[in-house]
Amino acid sequence: MTEPVISFDDLSVSFPTDDGMVRAVRNVSFDVEPGEVMAVVGESGSGKSVTALAAMRLHPGSTEITGEVRFGGRDLLGIGEKEMRRVRGNGIAMIFQDPMTALNPVMKVGAQIAEMVLTHDDVSKKEAWTRAADLLESVGVPEPGRRVKQYPHEFSGGMRQRAMIAMAIANGPDLLIADEPTTALDVTIQAQVLEVMKTAQEATGAAILLITHDLGVVAGIADRVVVMYGGRVFESGSADQVFYRSQNPYTRGLMSSIPRLDAPKGERLIPIPGTPPNVLNPPSGCAFGPRCAFASDGCHEAHAELMSVGFDGTHRSRCHKLAELPDLFAAAETR
Amino acid sequence: MFAYAARRILATIPLLIVATLGLFALESSVRDPVAELRVSCPQCDQIAFDRLIDLYDLDKPVLDLSNPGGSRYIAWLGNVATGDFGNSTSQGDNPVSDTVFTRAKNTMILAVPAFFVIASLATFLGVYSAVHQYSKTDYTITGLSFLGIAMPTFFFGLLLQVFWGIWFHDWFGMRPFFTTQMHDDNFVDLLKSITLPIVTLALVVVATESRFIRASMLDVIHSDYIRTARAKGLSERKVIFKHALRNAMIPVVTIWALDFSALLGGSVVTESIFSWPGLGPLLISSIFAADVNMVMAIILLISVLAIGFNLIADLLYGVLDPRIRIS
Repeated sequence: MTEPVISFDDLSVSFPTDDGMVRAVRNVSFDVEPGEVMAVVGESGSGKSVTALAAMRLHPGSTEITGEVRFGGRDLLGIGEKEMRRVRGNGIAMIFQDPMTALNPVMKVGAQIAEMVLTHDDVSKKEAWTRAADLLESVGVPEPGRRVKQYPHEFSGGMRQRAMIAMAIANGPDLLIADEPTTALDVTIQAQVLEVMKTAQEATGAAILLITHDLGVVAGIADRVVVMYGGRVFESGSADQVFYRSQNPYTRGLMSSIPRLDAPKGERLIPIPGTPPNVLNPPSGCAFGPRCAFASDGCHEAHAELMSVGFDGTHRSRCHKLAELPDLFAAAETR
Repeated sequence: MFAYAARRILATIPLLIVATLGLFALESSVRDPVAELRVSCPQCDQIAFDRLIDLYDLDKPVLDLSNPGGSRYIAWLGNVATGDFGNSTSQGDNPVSDTVFTRAKNTMILAVPAFFVIASLATFLGVYSAVHQYSKTDYTITGLSFLGIAMPTFFFGLLLQVFWGIWFHDWFGMRPFFTTQMHDDNFVDLLKSITLPIVTLALVVVATESRFIRASMLDVIHSDYIRTARAKGLSERKVIFKHALRNAMIPVVTIWALDFSALLGGSVVTESIFSWPGLGPLLISSIFAADVNMVMAIILLISVLAIGFNLIADLLYGVLDPRIRIS
């Protein structure tokens, strides 16, 4: 059994707003194993991005965090700012959602990649620029020698995201956090960028923590999946377990709300009724209770615990009706 | 870049013509020298009036398009084109250009150091405020800025004079750091003379500019690429000075250009309060004396400064921001 690259242990994140305390992440625990792609899936406000930012400690100063984020044998939440800076960009690198705004508009792309190299590696400026060009080539940017001297506005959206990936893998990180890396891109470009991420992962051996709301992206690339809702983990397991043998009404609701090519002709998409829970004032009991087709009175009283499903402990789900779910799903199917 | 600059300079010529024509017409019509002479000199006869009319071409219209050669404005424009701004009617019969040149030099002695004080102080205060948003220092700087913006220049200038000239002397029994004389030959004396006017000039501009820089910096600090810079593991100092500052300063360049050209054009209030022989007091006294040549020369200088520095700002814009670089 190898050590996980990063493990979130009972992580809770809250931040004050004008209207009160928002508990964005509640007691989240999961591990990312070396070299795997772990996807964190959820709607807006589910706490998935906040979890990722907490690992990098890039949250605003007023944020309250409890729990542990273990990386490289230490708790990232307990180390000093200087030590944390050595982790950022070196041990853990991050790819952000919108490549149009995530690159500095007044710095050449090559300079921005070279800066990443120079921050963590003792090389000459010239060497760093050569590495920047090599990195751009490795992520499939044509004419890297010319492209390094260009500014971000001279790059297309897909090319910019490639440049972001090149920057992220510059120092061979152990973990790559990708926060909605394809959301801002055209569908045709999305597949290419995912392909680039996979290639980069194979080349560097980095694990990927993929934050997304796009189940199509997850299906194509993830080894394991964590489904988050209302700041809590609702289901976790291998991609197969979560996709094909889901033991959670919320995950199931997500699945039936996306179109499938193999669906019988004329089948309608079933959206999840209602809206995600109000983060300031979440419902009592199960956060998904008010929107759940299978909820009964008991669901609204207390929140359920995350329980093991099956026998090997790799598949976990949070539901009051875990025992009855197979029957309930079967009944819903025949209706 | 060069073609762009040349095009911009050519485009300012019609602007200058319209501006000077309007001002020439206004300035020429506010007073009637003949009528004034009639009042001030009851014993003068028609010969004296005719001489006056002849001397200043008072019988000719300001602008007559059917007979351009007989227009006062066209005649003035032609002289200006050859470098002749005419003679003053209020400062002895000397060439206007000599007086304006001396006064502009005096104004520059205040304006150039004032600009550097303003630019550095406003940048420091604005950046510090933004980086420490909502801290006690931020609130203090904000409060003082509003005080500076709200305080009339003449009041602040007088307050400084009272403080240094009277109170400071009463409290400490020392000679105050203040004089109203110009001392071209002695640097320390010159410094003593220009300190208070510069502080007065700087106050309002520093107050407004630091607010502007704070807002611009805050915009940038909360942008995605600053988060990217932090995620690289850069030190906070590098994040602020290497990534944030340059982006935040792009819009500030325009403000600097306008403020600097305004300073170079002379300050009527500050220079008058400190009896500084700059362009400001000259402009006011020339307007009251209906010294058309003098007023036009100063106005032309102010216009050229404003247009020139606007152009410089636009060119600098392109240097700082590759997105709008002119190819």
